[in-house]
Amino acid sequence: MTHPVLSIDQLVVERGGRRIVDGLSLTLEAGEIYALLGGNGAGKSTTLFAILGFLERSGGTLTVGGQDPAGQLDAVRAQIAYLPENVALYDHLTARENVDYLLKVADCPRSRADVEAAFGSVGLAANAWDMRAGRFSKGMRQKTAIALAMLRDTPLLLLDEPTSGLDPAAAADFHKLLETLAARGVAVLMVTHDLLGAADTADRIGLIAGGRIASEWFAQPGEPRFDLNALHSGFARVR
Amino acid sequence: MTHILREMWLLGRSRSAIWALLLLAVCASASVALGLASVARDRAVIDRMLAGQVAEEAALAAFVEDAGSGAYYGFQPTWDPPSDLAFAALGSRDIAPAVLRVRALALEGQIYENESSNPELALPGRFDLAFVAVYVAPLVLIALLHDLWSGEREAGRYHALAALPRARRRLWTSRVAVRLAGVLVALLLPFGIGALMAGTAPLRALGFAGLITLVCLLWTAIVLVVARLGVRSAVNAASLAAVWFALTLVAPAGVNLAINAGVPVPDGAALARENREYVHAGWDRPRDRTMRDFLKVYPQHEAGSAIPPTFHWKWYFAFQHLGDLHVAEQSQAYRDGIARRAEMGRIAGWVLPPAGLAQAMSAMAGTDVTAQLDYQMRIRAYHQRLREFYYDYLFSEKPFGPQELARVPRFDPAIGG
Amino acid sequence: MSQVFTIAGAELRLMLRSRLAIVGVATLLLLSAIAAVTSATQMAAAAKMRAEAQIATDQQFKSQPDRHPHRMVHYGTYALRPVGPLAAFDPGVDAFTGTVVFLEGHRQNSATFGAARESSDLVRFGQLTPAFVLQTLAPLLLVFLGFASVARERERGSLRALAAHGATAWAILSGKALALCAAAALAMAPAFAALGWAAIQQPAEAGIALLTALSYSGYLLIWVLVITAVSALAASAQGALVTLIAIWAVVVVLVPRAAAAWAGVAEPLPSRVDTEFAIAADLRRIGDSHNPNDPHFAEFKAKLLQKYGVGKVEDLPFNYRGVLAQEGERLTSQLFKDYAARAGAIQLAQSDRLTALGLISPALAVRRASMVGAATDLRTHLAFLETAEAYRYNMVQKLNALQATAVSGADDSARSKDPIAERRTRISADFWKEVPDFRFDAPTASRRAAGMIPSLAVLALWIALALALMMIASRRLERNGA
Repeated sequence: MTHPVLSIDQLVVERGGRRIVDGLSLTLEAGEIYALLGGNGAGKSTTLFAILGFLERSGGTLTVGGQDPAGQLDAVRAQIAYLPENVALYDHLTARENVDYLLKVADCPRSRADVEAAFGSVGLAANAWDMRAGRFSKGMRQKTAIALAMLRDTPLLLLDEPTSGLDPAAAADFHKLLETLAARGVAVLMVTHDLLGAADTADRIGLIAGGRIASEWFAQPGEPRFDLNALHSGFARVR
Repeated sequence: MTHILREMWLLGRSRSAIWALLLLAVCASASVALGLASVARDRAVIDRMLAGQVAEEAALAAFVEDAGSGAYYGFQPTWDPPSDLAFAALGSRDIAPAVLRVRALALEGQIYENESSNPELALPGRFDLAFVAVYVAPLVLIALLHDLWSGEREAGRYHALAALPRARRRLWTSRVAVRLAGVLVALLLPFGIGALMAGTAPLRALGFAGLITLVCLLWTAIVLVVARLGVRSAVNAASLAAVWFALTLVAPAGVNLAINAGVPVPDGAALARENREYVHAGWDRPRDRTMRDFLKVYPQHEAGSAIPPTFHWKWYFAFQHLGDLHVAEQSQAYRDGIARRAEMGRIAGWVLPPAGLAQAMSAMAGTDVTAQLDYQMRIRAYHQRLREFYYDYLFSEKPFGPQELARVPRFDPAIGG
Repeated sequence: MSQVFTIAGAELRLMLRSRLAIVGVATLLLLSAIAAVTSATQMAAAAKMRAEAQIATDQQFKSQPDRHPHRMVHYGTYALRPVGPLAAFDPGVDAFTGTVVFLEGHRQNSATFGAARESSDLVRFGQLTPAFVLQTLAPLLLVFLGFASVARERERGSLRALAAHGATAWAILSGKALALCAAAALAMAPAFAALGWAAIQQPAEAGIALLTALSYSGYLLIWVLVITAVSALAASAQGALVTLIAIWAVVVVLVPRAAAAWAGVAEPLPSRVDTEFAIAADLRRIGDSHNPNDPHFAEFKAKLLQKYGVGKVEDLPFNYRGVLAQEGERLTSQLFKDYAARAGAIQLAQSDRLTALGLISPALAVRRASMVGAATDLRTHLAFLETAEAYRYNMVQKLNALQATAVSGADDSARSKDPIAERRTRISADFWKEVPDFRFDAPTASRRAAGMIPSLAVLALWIALALALMMIASRRLERNGA
């Protein structure tokens, strides 16, 4: 029996006695890109932290590839690549050293050629491969982190505000990358403010309000994939 | 193992960490080298004394005419050889003499002599491995570990790292292990080399290494508790420096103040003066009383105890010894006072673990106050043997010449008497 | 200038509102007060005890019964080192030297009974004294108070805001330093009060007390400037803190100990036994009074007989034994003096190395200035030993002279065989009263002031260096726009 990559049902997470996530349900299959939209403090990042097992849930079920972070934390984390909002690397190490190091921490070392191929496919310029990360722009950091995620080759990719602070061209490049990954069967869950970007890439868009998915839209074949007006008004309503 | 190697590599890429460890290794090596030099100097002082003693005895042999003059002029060396661990914990060997020459006169006037040394060099304390391990190594551990988590958090990497599978074991544990191991290597490698050079007994060396490891483990635990609880690296560093400061500098100084105030030690100078008074009053005290008092202690010499109305060495040495007996209680109280202070210091060591471990190091190396008192007891035991050797000649009126001089009992550093 | 005060004022307000700063300052003030009070009571007790012991020992000497003068030579007396005038502020080496010397004929004893050998193994770097608080604790408190002063503003971005409001980098740094100076002044208060109290009680010491206060102010000023500069130069507050703690540990803890160990190895001092053997060997060479055929004493005797035109010592107009004892004492004393001078020179050379290393660690420089000022340094101790030795020599020679003039030679040579003659060799107890009391005065204030100059010069050099560092920091701040 195959499990969905991510399955959340009636999730409740409390922080400081307050229910931040309250009855959130969401299922994600391989190759799907899901964008979770919502205002500040709506519970987006909290949901990510619950999936990663940083926060314990106080209700509902949550499994990654059929495994529950509450019991099999490491097995769950082994299936997830996570990009925080501000990708921070070791500034005193080069891009290659950063990736090598973090891959070793994750216990999935890759060959030099693999790393270079990943750098190539994320569009990190070759002259940056052996440059110290301290001199990287935000886009370059993002690319390095995506390369790392690709090399980890996990079924689930969690992204926290991936395009904030990227210029429009870089953001567009980034969305292309996500599509490539999804095409390989990676399930992507991204938390974002960027409505247009989400509409560009996502297969599904969920609007989180009051700790649960308040409304959900599915991409339509053809252009535009989403009804932008509906998205806008929905977003404006919850804010 | 791969995790350890990986973290070693990462540590190697941090310039400040390498500098800190290098500084520690240099300090440890320098302290071992200086410790070995200091021990070698002590040994050389002892050797020179034993070599020089030959000439002294030859000179004495030229004019010794009876047991009395042999006892009066014949200084005999005693010494406290540094142990095979003394190089690592010099303790109070710099302020207590390693050698002392005594003769059969009243001992209380001789035993408190000091070695000639520059007090300004003793003032800041010894630069030995115990100091490096107890004072400097914790600072390096603090520098390496205070931002273990907060540093990653402040750099924004924390969640990305924590999201990796088995981060606790693979990442944090190996990171701590590598840093602690770096500190231990910086301390133990120079120690090991020093121990080999000093010919330290393997088990004792192991025990000392265990104490060093314990100090490092203790501080690692303290640092990790603060690092785990603290949010900001700067606050962690400040709190840890304050803890270090309180535990190693302020609290021991305060406790020492309290101990010295709470445990009085009788005035040594008054004791020495009292001894002199009693000894010199011996010239004017009725002679038969002196002899009677002396024979109470040494009844075996009753037979030969008759003295002429003029000067006789028997009588002279009798009142010398009575002078010691006169202040025996005060002298005991003086030693007890110091021993009590040392004892209180050890008790304080249980509350102040760094100070406790430092004391354990000098105790193991035989360089602490207790060891100094023990050396004094060995001198006392030897002095008794020396006196009694001469008493035999004095009271039996056996002839005493250069041949007998060679038979004078020698000090045995292990047992004294 | 008003900018500087405004910035300083804001920084001080921040300190006043920071619990950490208040707790830190309060702890230091408390420690400092405890140190001042306990040190003052301890040293006052020690001073009283030693002064009374000196009086008692002088009294004992004077009240000895009729005796043969040579017995008084062996009875001897004690010299106690008085407590230095400012020892309550800085006891210096007081605990690490013996404080009592037994003075007798033919022998030079060491100073015995020091507090360090009567203490537990707990501390070996210093007692809790006002000087220790200022040298060791105060700089660390300043580090805690000041490490973030500039770095914090940079991390929050308020440094740029300050610059945008027209504050120059130099004004910002000066303001921060000024605020830290105010904290330092507060931290120094109890110790300086102790110093002031000592100066009031001993007006002659007021100048030295002022100079000592000046040294410590300069020392803490160095710290203030370095802390401010490092805070401005460091990439983060954390970096500044770690760097400053490392500097503190090296300057205050590491270098002084390492320097002392190095000086001891570089300038080896002969042991007491080495010196005793060397003196004994020299005596055997130049004049051995035990040897009836000793050439020196044979010549001495011949000259004496010739001078008085007599054939044998019994015919001399005085007791030959007394004169012989004087000659023997003269020879040994000269050797004692020579060897003591040599050992003293080595020790002073060791201490000079420490002064030179003040160039690496201003803590060494201020410690030296403080000890010299308080007359609790090595040089004062050596002066005490020298005074004691001179006193010993005069006392013994006076007694030997009594033996030569007041004891008949015939009685003296017969005394060990003839009890009646022995009785006659005992001279009146009144003679002992002629021996003056022992007295040691610490070097005069002006001599001590002169002795402080090298250390003060080193401190001045450090202030200049610290100012230069602050200027570098200021220039970098200006150039990089905060």
